[in-house]
Amino acid sequence: MKNNIKVERAIKGLTQEELANKVSVSRQTINAMEANKYVPSTVLALKIAKVFNKSVEDIFTLEKTD
Amino acid sequence: MATGLLLPNKYKFIGWCLLIPATIIGIILSFKGFETNWLNAKVFAIFPGGFLGESKPFSFIETDITNTVVGILFIVGAMFVGISKEKREDEFIEKLRLSSLLWAVKVNYILLLLAVVFIYGTAFLTVVIYNMFTIPIIFIVRFNYILYRNAKIVSDEK
Repeated sequence: MKNNIKVERAIKGLTQEELANKVSVSRQTINAMEANKYVPSTVLALKIAKVFNKSVEDIFTLEKTD
Repeated sequence: MATGLLLPNKYKFIGWCLLIPATIIGIILSFKGFETNWLNAKVFAIFPGGFLGESKPFSFIETDITNTVVGILFIVGAMFVGISKEKREDEFIEKLRLSSLLWAVKVNYILLLLAVVFIYGTAFLTVVIYNMFTIPIIFIVRFNYILYRNAKIVSDEK
């Protein structure tokens, strides 16, 4: 699964730390998601989408291998 | 996300305080063949060991309890270190914890399998003694290494 958290974060002008605080996870988690090393839970995906005022599909997209 | 059955973060420090001395004394004990006479006490034993007729099950016996005490300290310490929350516990940390545990169990049994195949006689008894403690050791090393590596990547990426 791909995501454009990094891009959305840049648009909103948020740092990893700020986004992490908004969705109450560690900065490591945000970093791991941006590096495509971690697929978030549905709850976390929804929370992130809410921060960016977008739907989950706008931020997270399936890859061919999924 | 619910991370039930984890102890508060402060237990991690208490755990290290028990685990490190217990490991050091455990290594010293292993060099002495687990036969010291540092600490004698009367204890209740379900199965006291010894030869048949020498001691009854479910009785009080007088014995050296050095190994017992060190074993307890090690197990409690390792449990505290292994199952207490990180400062910032979340679903990613939880996933790392679970995958580290799985990794530790796999590595442990690969090592045990090799030991079963290649080690015979009384030396195998030593393997069994060490094997009691390898899962928590491998788990703690692996989990903390991954946490450290992730933290390092994060701090590099300002």
